[in-house]
Amino acid sequence: MNFICNFPFFSILLSLFSGTVCSVLPAKAAKAVNRVVIIAVGLMSAVLLLYLLSTGESFIYWMGHFPAPWGNEIRAGVLEAGMALFFCIIMYLSMAGGAHKLPGEVVESKHNLYYILVNLLLSSLLALVYTNDMFTAYVFVEINTISACGLIMIRQVGRTIEAAVRYMIMSLLGSGLLLFGLCIMYDLTGHLLMSNIKESVAQLIAAGEYQIPLIVSVALMCIGLCIKSALFPFHAWLPDAYGYSTVSSAAILSSLVSKGYIFLLIKIIYRVIGFDIFNSTRIIDVLFVFGLMGMIFGSLSAIKENDIRRMIAFSSVAQIGYIYMGFGMGTQAGMVASVFHILSHAATKSLLFIAAIGLTDVSGGSRKFIDLTGAAYRNKWAGVAFTAGSLSMVGIPLFSGFISKLLFAQAAVQVEGKMLASLIVLGISTVLNAIYFMKTVIRIYTTAGESPYSGVTFRDMKAYAVTLLFFILLNVALGVSSQPVVNMIEQGLAMFA
Amino acid sequence: MYFILLSIFFPILAGLFLLIRFRTPLSGEKAGTDRKPLLVLTGIFLVITAVFAFAAPLTAREGFTLFYLTETLPIYFRIDSVGQLFSLLAVIVLLCAGFFSFSYMKHEERESRYYGFYLILFGVLNALCFAGNLITFYLFFELLTLSSMPLVLHNGSREAIMAGLKYLFYSLCGAYGALFGIYFLYQSCDTLTFTAGGVLKETAVTQHGGFLLLTAFVMLLGFGVKAGMFPMHAWLPTAHPVAPAPASAVLSAVIVKAGVLAVVRITGYIFGTGFLRGTWVQTVWMCLTLITVFMGSMLAYREPVLKKRLAYSTVSQLSYILFGLAVMNEASLVGSLFQVLAHGFVKAALFLCAGAIIYKTGKTRVEEMRGIGKEMPLTMWCWTIASLGLVGIPPTGGFVSKWYLALGSLKSGLPVLDVLGPIILLVSALLTAGYLLPLTIHGFFPGGDYDYSGLQKKEPRKLMTVPILILTSLPVVIGLFPDTIAGIILMAVKGR
Amino acid sequence: MGPNLFTNYGEAVSAVLFCIGFTNLLLQTNLIKKIIGLNIMDSAIYLFLAEKGYIAGRVAPIVVNGVTSTEAYINPIPSGLVLTGIVVSVSVTALMLSLTIRLYTRYHTLNLDEISMQLKKEGK
Repeated sequence: MNFICNFPFFSILLSLFSGTVCSVLPAKAAKAVNRVVIIAVGLMSAVLLLYLLSTGESFIYWMGHFPAPWGNEIRAGVLEAGMALFFCIIMYLSMAGGAHKLPGEVVESKHNLYYILVNLLLSSLLALVYTNDMFTAYVFVEINTISACGLIMIRQVGRTIEAAVRYMIMSLLGSGLLLFGLCIMYDLTGHLLMSNIKESVAQLIAAGEYQIPLIVSVALMCIGLCIKSALFPFHAWLPDAYGYSTVSSAAILSSLVSKGYIFLLIKIIYRVIGFDIFNSTRIIDVLFVFGLMGMIFGSLSAIKENDIRRMIAFSSVAQIGYIYMGFGMGTQAGMVASVFHILSHAATKSLLFIAAIGLTDVSGGSRKFIDLTGAAYRNKWAGVAFTAGSLSMVGIPLFSGFISKLLFAQAAVQVEGKMLASLIVLGISTVLNAIYFMKTVIRIYTTAGESPYSGVTFRDMKAYAVTLLFFILLNVALGVSSQPVVNMIEQGLAMFA
Repeated sequence: MYFILLSIFFPILAGLFLLIRFRTPLSGEKAGTDRKPLLVLTGIFLVITAVFAFAAPLTAREGFTLFYLTETLPIYFRIDSVGQLFSLLAVIVLLCAGFFSFSYMKHEERESRYYGFYLILFGVLNALCFAGNLITFYLFFELLTLSSMPLVLHNGSREAIMAGLKYLFYSLCGAYGALFGIYFLYQSCDTLTFTAGGVLKETAVTQHGGFLLLTAFVMLLGFGVKAGMFPMHAWLPTAHPVAPAPASAVLSAVIVKAGVLAVVRITGYIFGTGFLRGTWVQTVWMCLTLITVFMGSMLAYREPVLKKRLAYSTVSQLSYILFGLAVMNEASLVGSLFQVLAHGFVKAALFLCAGAIIYKTGKTRVEEMRGIGKEMPLTMWCWTIASLGLVGIPPTGGFVSKWYLALGSLKSGLPVLDVLGPIILLVSALLTAGYLLPLTIHGFFPGGDYDYSGLQKKEPRKLMTVPILILTSLPVVIGLFPDTIAGIILMAVKGR
Repeated sequence: MGPNLFTNYGEAVSAVLFCIGFTNLLLQTNLIKKIIGLNIMDSAIYLFLAEKGYIAGRVAPIVVNGVTSTEAYINPIPSGLVLTGIVVSVSVTALMLSLTIRLYTRYHTLNLDEISMQLKKEGK
């Protein structure tokens, strides 16, 4: 076995242990450790990705060298490695973009705690991405929830604690359902490893036995993960959690945490149940309908919002709706579009959160639109970045958002029954997106009368500006040369089967 | 090939440079009083871009792919005669209006932003004219909306911002309608490259012909938004009056023509006239354009605010063009493209005249402008000649275009509409005379009770009058040599 | 249906308990009751797992008297899962309780809706 095959395991362990180490380090050192770990994991994932692309097939790594039915396994394919790499990039940029705000948001003594949580979050995300064992997935889902909750409430304001509680409650409901579904699945198949479950499920389906429990189990797992990733009717916790936590937390939570769960769901669909079996159930129709509703209602709530961060948070609800709509189409193309949207949304949403903080900072810390008037002139970089993010969200060509919309539409055209519904809702949602994002862009570029707030220049915020620049580049790169990424996603999904 | 790229990217980069270099002062700071460097630079950039845009068709006739957006969606540029025609119009109008703004924008704030976006707009328009496939066209169509929006909401008042948003939403809705169509076309065409006669697959036409017709209709409506076609025309009269006058001239003369160009492209080069001729799409489309022609003229007739009146007139006149495109025979297409040129020059001249009046006197309503001809004789003479051009009195270009349009319609052999069309065009021409000429009449002959004592010479500076003069003379020139121009257009129509 | 339900009464009971816990966690406004609901829900799942792992007439998988035949013992994996699950649920409960304490010291109430009302009044 090649040495590179150890990398997934190393990444998980490295981030897990660095979290532990951070607890005894002073804040500065913890920050350095955090950065180094993210970079190291990113590099390892990149090397792994290249290796996997060159070999062209996935591999399974036995933890402790116990073979299949007994041991715990890690599995790495192109999609997993790519996701891990992407998560690292986004996480690094989010941390870098929010770093200058941290002293004002979190008490000095808790800084290293913050980095512990981030490292823990990274390790649980990586584990969700790589694991081949359902119960391990469950455990790391919980770790993910706990660290995300910590990230929300580390800024000790009433709102964040309340948001953390609401987040915990919804998450626990979700993980309860996931665990119950998992147990039924274990009961039916007698396995916990994904590949083995899949074989048994195929046998059960072929034999026509235990159909109803099987569907119930799949449905429970799906609903559980939907709740956790804030699909439309379960999104009540989201605006407060994203709107009031620290900047980096908001960026990471919106772009990574929910995506980790969605990625787990994809793995379950492909590796546990089997894509075709999953598509033959009615579950995808339910996902489709809720996805569409999320796209519209999320945007409607965002339009009504008068607080820029909450507005961006509500827009996440709509974007999650897109992803589930892709699942609901039940085709390979729909799935590719969804996975691409995971990437494009992550790149865009964290950019928006980080740009928004730059705008609110030069408006006396207020998030009300009236105070944000002309903010883009006071902080040019944030203004440009926010505009770029908005254009991507609206789906203007050359930005990543356009490509994901294009992929969704192309996927929709191939599905007879769902074509019109998806295209019409895509259209409505595009226009709604345009309403609130362009409204904001115009607002921040309007100068009306004297402004009491002073501006900042490039010299005051070098790191911040560079981060924004990288985010914009990432967005444009996804929008301009999407084909390699799409090819990689297709290859990765093919490896799943 | 390099000239195409230069004509597109040079102005965009130059515009960005202006936006960054001459930063908008933070509110509270006083704007720099020295406008000279900005104006000189803008002037140089405008001229250089114009040279590039003129040179591009001379140097490159074969297309080239810039890069691939996805594997099957290349960003592809190619110059053909239709694109060249639109580019000619765009360059002349943008140059004239650009120099006009040097004087007009003197008292406006945030000039650098205006010129920056003006240059970006120039580049985007060039790209639209030279786009070689539907995806490239769509890309720059969206960018056109975005880059022209700052011009609409330039003065930053609440009214202007609402107008800008309205413009944005109408355009985005329309563009999505078009995108909706592109999704389907993607399935039923081998390529989305503009090819005379259409690119539909035979099998697709036989299998989902009805559906493709629906797609075509949605796309027409979608692109028709930009061209102010009836149910989606409402943004035009809102957006035009609030923009600075040279910007309205550009909007009315060139940007709305992008919608026309889009319609030309999809009917002639994607679906193919053969596919659409004689279908319900053609009938409904012709009805819509005739409604728009008549309604636009009526609304303009009743409108007291000068620039708004001109905007309604644009709505009406654009549908002349769309009507000609909908008839889809040779004569009507020639008429349409002739009208594109004639209307472009005339309407730009009219808006610049209106701008000069507003700039010098501050009057915006028609009834306030009695005796204006005594104060600004040159401007009003230009106004009069341009008006005649719009009404369609020979020897102006407007006459030629309307002649061809009527001819095409009568030859089309469509029931009812072939006769109804010319009648409505005629009625609308009368209405046009009714809403444009009173300004001349009252301007030069204010009536016996008029008090002549308060009159002063208010003729604007040369920087303003020369562009107006040029734009006024052009429709007369093309009207004097209709055969040459029609010959060129005929070549374009035949798809070379 | 009937006989199945009777033979699998343990599973049926755990499903009912799960539902009770779930509704409590979802609908109660009192935070402590919510946490109790959470624990009922988790315990129900462990009951389900334990029930699944148990085979009538066999003993816990601890080698006594040198009997190594697999026939003598129950399946140990569900028990292992239960143990892991308990650890997770204990930590989650602890986190929830600590959050509850923080909220209580700030707002002097355990009612989540009231807390939200107070937050709205603060207007931040």
